[in-house]
Amino acid sequence: MSAASIGETPMIEADHASKWFGDVVAVSDVSFRIGPGVTALLGPNGAGKSTLLRMLCGLTPPDRGAVRILGADPRRDISVRGRIGIVPQQEAMFEALTAFEFVRLAGLLHGVGDPAAAARWALDLVELDHADHRSTTTYSKGMKQRVKVAQALVNDPAVMVLDEPLTGLDPRQRGHLIELFGRLGEQGRCVIVSSHVLDEVERFGSRVLVVAQGRLAATGDFRAIRDLMDDRPHRIRVRTDRTREVATELISSPGVLAVRLEPAAGGRPGAVIVDTTDAPVFRRSVAAAAQRADATLLEVSPLDDDLDSVFRYLVGR
Amino acid sequence: MSTDLAPPRSPERPPCPALGPVFAAEYKLLLRSVCTRGRLIAIGMLAGLSVLTALAVKLGDPYFTLDAGVDFVNGNIATLIPVAVLVFGVAVLGDLIDDGSLVYLWLRPVPSWIHVVAAWAATVTIVVPLVLAPVVGATAIIDTSPELIGGAALGGLVAIIAYSALFVTLGVRFKRALPWGLVYILIWEGFVASAGKTATRLALRSYVRSILGSMTDMHLKLGEFSLAVGIIVPLVVAALALLYTSRRLAKTDVA
Repeated sequence: MSAASIGETPMIEADHASKWFGDVVAVSDVSFRIGPGVTALLGPNGAGKSTLLRMLCGLTPPDRGAVRILGADPRRDISVRGRIGIVPQQEAMFEALTAFEFVRLAGLLHGVGDPAAAARWALDLVELDHADHRSTTTYSKGMKQRVKVAQALVNDPAVMVLDEPLTGLDPRQRGHLIELFGRLGEQGRCVIVSSHVLDEVERFGSRVLVVAQGRLAATGDFRAIRDLMDDRPHRIRVRTDRTREVATELISSPGVLAVRLEPAAGGRPGAVIVDTTDAPVFRRSVAAAAQRADATLLEVSPLDDDLDSVFRYLVGR
Repeated sequence: MSTDLAPPRSPERPPCPALGPVFAAEYKLLLRSVCTRGRLIAIGMLAGLSVLTALAVKLGDPYFTLDAGVDFVNGNIATLIPVAVLVFGVAVLGDLIDDGSLVYLWLRPVPSWIHVVAAWAATVTIVVPLVLAPVVGATAIIDTSPELIGGAALGGLVAIIAYSALFVTLGVRFKRALPWGLVYILIWEGFVASAGKTATRLALRSYVRSILGSMTDMHLKLGEFSLAVGIIVPLVVAALALLYTSRRLAKTDVA
């Protein structure tokens, strides 16, 4: 899939955007449109995620093609930058400042009416103390990340571009920020979050952009993407009390390529692992097969429609 | 999470902020960022050395002549001031480019000339009290003639204004700006500038020397321009450098 439409008014749009550094192609002919809500940008290290995010914000121009945020080119139209909030990947901040001063400065540069009040609000959102008089140089990596998120929120942006925003955070803070980003997306903001940690991404929601080797490998709901991958057999686990009998019945079902027995273990009954080219047809036929085998079905669950499997298929890992 | 997601401000907001407060905020930020203890101590010691030298010279020879006073000021303007400006000027935006924190200024609805002029103003603000004041003080120790002190003050100020613009530009343009700046000061202005008239015209030092020469009515090597030319050309160079840097920064790739 080289291009896709999300269906809503695009808040971020890439139109055949390419970027290269010397002979190295970082981003190649990428097209997509993103509307409100949270979208996860996925890809292995070095896939071009950060370059793509930098292009979207206008921090680096595409060598070919175009990017637009809210219909404007952020490199040429400086007013649209006031509607963007960014969490860059690099850790450096203005280290002579406290967190409050740093976030207030961001508000002031955005023309926020009361930057001090906005800074207190943004720091509260990420659960940092705005009265902390320490310089951010003394902060842990996780605290610095939260300061970066606060400065991205201070102007109440319509579009948020977050490059690995959860790096260095403890599990509780991760959960907190994931929930925060979800709420911001539900309120109509366009939030694009890059990550290579799949468990994390799955919690952001189901909408993904997958980048591999600088190209857009897929975009949309990752479960729908999985369903579209006709060339990859679906793997389904059927847990039952009579595995051999059910396996015998299933092997002759339409679309079934292979069956494998999973022995009972740890008090759990055994299972049949089935590879099928047609998951919907299989799901309809499995009950009849169990009935013929006089078996009880305990569980029928897909094994490879999670994000991890989709990602591995798409990036060839 | 109980915190309200609605920010505490009016939703009506101009597309770009008022430039006055933005300039003031950036100026204060850059001033604070570039004034590291190491830089202040190193340059402060050099300036202190200038005062100590003046004291030593005056104590050694109480009848020090104006010629020698002019040479003393000339030496300070030729090396101490450019080197001090270089240390702060290339770092003021260059450090932000190197560590990637420039993004927090660049990705705001603020024209790039604000960043550049704030950086230039911050550099001038540091170097005037840190270096120019001791140099003028040292000059007064050597000779109290108003022409010499005036020449040191005016020449030093024009030098700081022009070199600051030039070295802010260098910091934005080159990754290793400090060595390039030293090459300019020591090789170009120190040697190449004396090779011919064209090279002389391309060295700021020549114009600053001309200010000193004109005000003290002394003839200085490479200082052959009139007072007006000596003042106007460096100021025009500074303005052009700031204009170029603003355009460059607007088009730069930000990490």
